Amino acid sequence: MNVIVIGHGMVGSQFVEDLLASDEHAHVTVLGREPTGPYNRVLLSSVVAGATDPSMLAMSAASGDRVRVLDGVAAVDIDRDARTVTDSRGDVHRYDRLVFATGSQARVPDIHGIATDRGLIPGVTVLKDLADATGIVKRIPKARRAVVLGAGVLGLEVATGLAARGIAVTLVHHSGRVMERQLGDAAANIATGSLAKLGVRVVTETSVAEALDRRGVLQSVRLTDGTQVLCDLLVMCAGTQPSTSLARRAGLPCERGIVVDDALASPADDRVFAIGDCAQPPEGGTGLVAQGWDQGSRLVALWTGRADAGRESDDDLTNVVRVKAQGLDLVTMGLSGKFDHGERELRAVRISDPAVGRFVEVVVSHGLLVGATVVGDKACAAELSAMYSRMTPVPPDPAHLIVRPLASAASAAVNTDPAQLGDDDTVCQCNTVSKGRICSAIDDGCASVDDVARATRAGTGCGDCRSVVAALIQSRDAAQAPSGDKVPALAGHGEG
Amino acid sequence: MPASHGTASPGHAIASGDAVASHCPYCALQCAQSLAPTPAGRLPLEVTGREFPTNRGGLCQKGWTSAEVLRAKDRITTPLVRSSDGGYREADWNEALDLVADGIRGIQDRCGADGIAVFGGGGLTNEKAYALGKFARIALKTRFIDYNGRFCMSSAAAVSNRSLGMDRGLGFPLSDLGGADAVVVVGSNMAATMPPFVQHLAGARERGGLIVIDPRETATARLAKDGQGMHLAPVPGTDLVVLLALAHVILAEGLADRDYLDARTNGLDDIRRSVAAWWPERAEQVCGVPAEGLRSVARLLAAASPSHGGRGAYVLTGRGLEQSSQGTDGVSAAINVALLLGLIGREGSGFGPVTGQGNGQGGREHGQKSDQLPGYRMITDPAARAHVAQVWGIDPDDLPGPGVPAVELLTTLGEPGSPQGLLVHGSNVVVSAPNADRVRAALSRLELLVVCDMVPSETALMADVILPVTQWAEEDGTMTNLEGRIIRRRAAVAAPGQAQSELWILRELAARLGAPTGFSTDPGEVFMELTRASAGGKADYAGVTYERLDAGEELFWPVPAADHPGTPRVFLDGFPTPDGRARMIAVDHHGPRDDVRADAPLHLITGRVLQHYQSGAQTRRVDELNAAQPEPFVELHPVLADRLGLREGDIAALTTARGEALAAVRVSEAIRPDTVFMPFHWPGVGSANRLTNDATDPISGMPEFKVTAVDIAPARTTEEAAAL
Repeated sequence: MNVIVIGHGMVGSQFVEDLLASDEHAHVTVLGREPTGPYNRVLLSSVVAGATDPSMLAMSAASGDRVRVLDGVAAVDIDRDARTVTDSRGDVHRYDRLVFATGSQARVPDIHGIATDRGLIPGVTVLKDLADATGIVKRIPKARRAVVLGAGVLGLEVATGLAARGIAVTLVHHSGRVMERQLGDAAANIATGSLAKLGVRVVTETSVAEALDRRGVLQSVRLTDGTQVLCDLLVMCAGTQPSTSLARRAGLPCERGIVVDDALASPADDRVFAIGDCAQPPEGGTGLVAQGWDQGSRLVALWTGRADAGRESDDDLTNVVRVKAQGLDLVTMGLSGKFDHGERELRAVRISDPAVGRFVEVVVSHGLLVGATVVGDKACAAELSAMYSRMTPVPPDPAHLIVRPLASAASAAVNTDPAQLGDDDTVCQCNTVSKGRICSAIDDGCASVDDVARATRAGTGCGDCRSVVAALIQSRDAAQAPSGDKVPALAGHGEG
Repeated sequence: MPASHGTASPGHAIASGDAVASHCPYCALQCAQSLAPTPAGRLPLEVTGREFPTNRGGLCQKGWTSAEVLRAKDRITTPLVRSSDGGYREADWNEALDLVADGIRGIQDRCGADGIAVFGGGGLTNEKAYALGKFARIALKTRFIDYNGRFCMSSAAAVSNRSLGMDRGLGFPLSDLGGADAVVVVGSNMAATMPPFVQHLAGARERGGLIVIDPRETATARLAKDGQGMHLAPVPGTDLVVLLALAHVILAEGLADRDYLDARTNGLDDIRRSVAAWWPERAEQVCGVPAEGLRSVARLLAAASPSHGGRGAYVLTGRGLEQSSQGTDGVSAAINVALLLGLIGREGSGFGPVTGQGNGQGGREHGQKSDQLPGYRMITDPAARAHVAQVWGIDPDDLPGPGVPAVELLTTLGEPGSPQGLLVHGSNVVVSAPNADRVRAALSRLELLVVCDMVPSETALMADVILPVTQWAEEDGTMTNLEGRIIRRRAAVAAPGQAQSELWILRELAARLGAPTGFSTDPGEVFMELTRASAGGKADYAGVTYERLDAGEELFWPVPAADHPGTPRVFLDGFPTPDGRARMIAVDHHGPRDDVRADAPLHLITGRVLQHYQSGAQTRRVDELNAAQPEPFVELHPVLADRLGLREGDIAALTTARGEALAAVRVSEAIRPDTVFMPFHWPGVGSANRLTNDATDPISGMPEFKVTAVDIAPARTTEEAAAL
């Protein structure tokens, strides 16, 4: 079986590796527009923030006899009748199956003055590929002020990343609240408060109307409300558009993305498939890499009859949105923000605590977590996303999902305060020696930790309880005079 | 000898007075004991802790009470033969051994040499382990031998050999840990399983550097509290993800030791690309550990590492990581973290798996493993075969080839084309093997089951013939502890009744099977032969003698010659790989084979309690230990208990795809609410291994003991509960 994969990004490359490992008859040709091979686009904002070394981005790519990887070679034409793809070098490749993994491109808003016929003016950029990221990083040493347009996940990451590098950041957003698709008003307000603490000024219900330059270099922007903001850098994080032009030219049905069915196949051609950001599956594309990876893995499973081909539930469990920003812990999953209750019976429990910058909401339906929003609570964010992805059962009272991490932050440790221990409490775990037995030994004349060890074995394992034994001797000494000097020798002599 | 060893006097092999210096019968820490005979006492000897570099005089409750097992009420003191009524009758040795030999011959005449299999144990002395492997290969001539160390160290061993060129366990003296700024413990609970070990963590704790990765807040995890370190509690089966994320942060933040990587390793590019996909926020969703916690641990480890001016860091792994269908990948990821930070083969830093069983290290070096010959030689290597055949005085072509690993061996027993007879030594497989009901069914298909044991273990009670053997304080020999240190076990008392050493039993059987020479009953002679067989191998004992050990020399293998001082720290001058470099191997996370699902929505994890050892065959016979831990239990979080309607002390029924078990409920906040924990020391309805998964790691053959999907509910009937 000859498979052609168009696109060698995070999703395309992983799909190819998985397919080659699972199907020994598969022969794959990969056409990748970018010359670099697959790399981790999710971490571009971390590169901007200085948190990730750019050398860390490269990801593994398939190699071997059964795969031909053509990086820097784009697909330019598809003939579905002949089942061929023509590449940018003019070579023609024949396929039995064709997979689009062309991803998406950054949406460039219609802003007066951001571009000349040579492209975006210096200081104005999107953040979609490695060149964009290194371009921003190069400007950072001289930049003092930046405007980030769009307060979605990427916008927040870029804004906090630039702020962490000491740049004064204004985050401009068209909606009335940040991340309006994921957050309701209360959560968004708390997130905005956290952003302010990190040095990001948030301006909502406005957009950038015009970029003003001096000698061709960005100097300031004018917002739609008329205010002018000085800046050396404008990063546009205004969303993405699935890359569909090649598919459209090949006559495949495309709406926002390339339309595919549950089996990730085009309804117009059962030899053509789409995965990742370029695809529009029945449940809709989320723009998250996890969805693309899940689709790639499902497609391999469907082709090879592997067991994980079926989906366990109708719910998409990959839609966990996690902002990667130092100092801002924000994660949403499933139902979050202003969601529609619909037909389902839903229970929602919420803590909204702006004073400490914390907001947690969980949404439960029929014993399972179907949504959550967490701002400013690391442990809760981690627990809930693991629980959501695995569909592990929730407590009868969903409130326990929220309060538990706080409760367990209190000590579950063995109590080692001698005064707090009861006579039956075990002091020496290694030898199961209770406080009562140690106190009797002291009463019987043990005057040192070693005496107690010889009499009871307490402290002869890991030795961690010897300080407790010492404290017990001290408190006994204080309370009463020793009653004698007899040292019982229950466990013999420990000296070697 | 470094100053930190100053606690060990040159004469530390000598105990005070008439006492005999030996070591504890239980775990791989092999705490030093003084055994003082007490002729008039209820027990034949009194045990006390003895000063030694590993235990520093300490013993846990198991060690203090170990003499009780010498006089277990039901100790077997005479050979027992299955009688017609299904019970056992006493027999004399000649009759029992003739019966066994006849049974073996009968099966082998019909099915060939491979009709008989041997199953050994990680508690046997080096001498017995060696003799057992030799007996299988030249007296039985079978290729089917494996042992319970497969359940213990096989994943760590496979990866250490693959990546570092050698598996020496810790690879450094335990006391080295004390000088480090950071020690990360992945899936080991030494505070409960080998408590005196904890003394060596004091330095790291003082400096806030003890990192414990465990789904439970174990006794070991609690040692990291109050600023002494950090505890990360990943979702069961995702510890590999934690390690991949640590590697990611180390590389992304430029914390790796570039000079070391350039000079001493291969594979950095592969690692970089493979961990690129595991940024902390993604890892967080899979493992449930906050991204910031992952970053903090990576930075703490890096700061402790020598290239950043730290005092050193260690990465230690345990069964929690290794007993998994991706166990070898987990160990690879741990080794990769250690290599990225330049820790391995450097004094004061390192990597090491914490061996579990008493002679888990020596047991895996001298020929009990299905594919190995003494000296850690591969049975498929013609040079290795030639060397060992020469020591054994046989033609290399007469040596059998490789057999199959433990789970495959045990589960196929009695099937057509598989072994029809089995000899078991030092193992209680119907309690300790995964999917235990399946193992029990396999054993009952056998035509001949012979078990050598000192007590009527659950496995022994299925045997056609039970042969009584000596134990720890009744025998001489050597053990190799978790550090790769060779130590002396010494006889202090005589065995009761007719109990005999396996060395004698193997000689007697060999003679009856037509191999009248080559099986000495003297441990010292066997050891000298072992050292010759190991000479030139990876685990080279050639220069070790009882005399050197008895004189108090601290000998860590390899010891290639009589004038060689041994090798306390390995890899200082290079790795014994073909190019002298460590190999970093890229791995990825796939998750447990039997993962949570709607009808089994919780994770079951298994492990040990302080008072019991392995299948409990020894410790369940000690009243004091039973008083402290009397019954099987399941630990669960109060929120989960509330959902299930279970209270402390209730009986819970647990169900997995393999079987059912019952256990008393213990409610604890020290466990994740999506997870339940069961110790595996008990037989019968409370046996955790009736639930565990016998899926294995494709490289090591290690079963996935440590995580499976489980459903849990209150026991349905009072009869059910009463069965416990």
